[in-house]
Amino acid sequence: MAVFLINDKQVHSYEQLLAEINGSQSYYPLYKQPDLFLYFSNLIKALSSNVPLILLDADLNANEIGGVDESRMNVAETLPVKGEITIEEVIAAVQNSSSQITIFTSGTTGQPKKVVHNVQNLTRSVRQGEKYNGQIWAYAYNPTHMAGLQVFFQTFMNQNTLVNVFNKSRSEVYELIECQKVTHISATPTFYRLLLPFEKEYPLVQRVTLGGEKSDSKLYDNITKIFPSAKINNVYASTEAGSLFAAKGDAFQLPEKLRNKFKIVDDELLIHRSLLGQSDNFRFEDDYYHSGDLIEWVDEEKGLFRFKSRKNELINVGGYKVNPEETERAILNIAGVLQALVYGKANSILGNVLCAEVKIEEGSELTELGIRNILKEQLQDFKIPRRIKFVNTFSLTRTGKIKRS
Amino acid sequence: MEQKVLSIINEIRKAKNLAILEKLNVEDNLRNNLEFTSFDLAELTVKIEDEFDVDIFEDGLVNTIGEIYAKLG
Repeated sequence: MAVFLINDKQVHSYEQLLAEINGSQSYYPLYKQPDLFLYFSNLIKALSSNVPLILLDADLNANEIGGVDESRMNVAETLPVKGEITIEEVIAAVQNSSSQITIFTSGTTGQPKKVVHNVQNLTRSVRQGEKYNGQIWAYAYNPTHMAGLQVFFQTFMNQNTLVNVFNKSRSEVYELIECQKVTHISATPTFYRLLLPFEKEYPLVQRVTLGGEKSDSKLYDNITKIFPSAKINNVYASTEAGSLFAAKGDAFQLPEKLRNKFKIVDDELLIHRSLLGQSDNFRFEDDYYHSGDLIEWVDEEKGLFRFKSRKNELINVGGYKVNPEETERAILNIAGVLQALVYGKANSILGNVLCAEVKIEEGSELTELGIRNILKEQLQDFKIPRRIKFVNTFSLTRTGKIKRS
Repeated sequence: MEQKVLSIINEIRKAKNLAILEKLNVEDNLRNNLEFTSFDLAELTVKIEDEFDVDIFEDGLVNTIGEIYAKLG
């Protein structure tokens, strides 16, 4: 049987995965697990048994997510008894699963939003068939996030191989691409930027997919140099809706059969509720959800468009969405802090780097490192400002609000 | 200039609980030797820009300490 996952020099076969699924009668409904094999095994177990699952980042702090009962975390529950099944039967069971999967997204008003998806939402863009056989995918996303789930399902449902390169250094990534004969890569533009500059060609890579952030033509040119045989394409997937659009060159196309599920109002993309997961935090207007993504038409007749920017104030840091208010609140909770402003500063590596201006009480001995260490106890790393400046005054807007520029 | 770069790099390493460095070598690789992630590199660019008004990553990535010195030199 094919290799399922290569993770930190450990090779896990589909046979091993199957043994894990057939050999255990329990799973973890609320699972925080840094080991990718255990994490995926649990995911497949839950889905193939039609039971619900909540996916948590391995480095998430409990106070970052509301409504999650910590005492249930990593506590096993018994699964309904079923006989031994083959890997094909497991894949079919996952495809037809009635499980509800809960994931979290950065909210616009504070705590991460809980979004409940059915499996069909998450596998909408999975392509299967003979021509997908034998692919080897570099796995470059966080496994609990939408993009990571998309790549996982695409590979798993075709019994392809995943090679974990998430959070690996540049030389490790190249080594894995070369030694494991990677054919497909799906990652954020930040991931590809870190592979620059061009030093060597990797001709085995057939497809390179970019998602998550805006990318530029300079990056495309460089990717073409490194992966000369690869076709490059873009994906748009959101935590709210999963994968929605196919890329056409540097633009996206509304799929023909879903055309009536979208509206554009004041340049903003509105998505019909039937395409979304479920969340108490979604606000609908006439059954349409405001995506916050501003677009411009390339060809309205054909449904071709480009993304311009975001409407809300979430800051995109290397593909992670940061709500500046959440970080500001955490800073304001620190003794000695009077006022805080968190903003994104344009950066050639991450797109934006998170920065803060902080006003502290006179006599307070808070330092940048001190503040960051306190924040570490409460926030995931990407939400912590990488530069903190101590100021006496903030630049205010005319309405008296603190300016965020 | 080299002392300032060293102190910025140590500041970043300290926040990651990595050992403070006595000195930098021109061949030190930011990612492989100094164990910098993309977030650390972003922090480095911001802090170097604050100090020297130069975006060291503006036209492609730099890999070594020597390349940083060259950009600032």
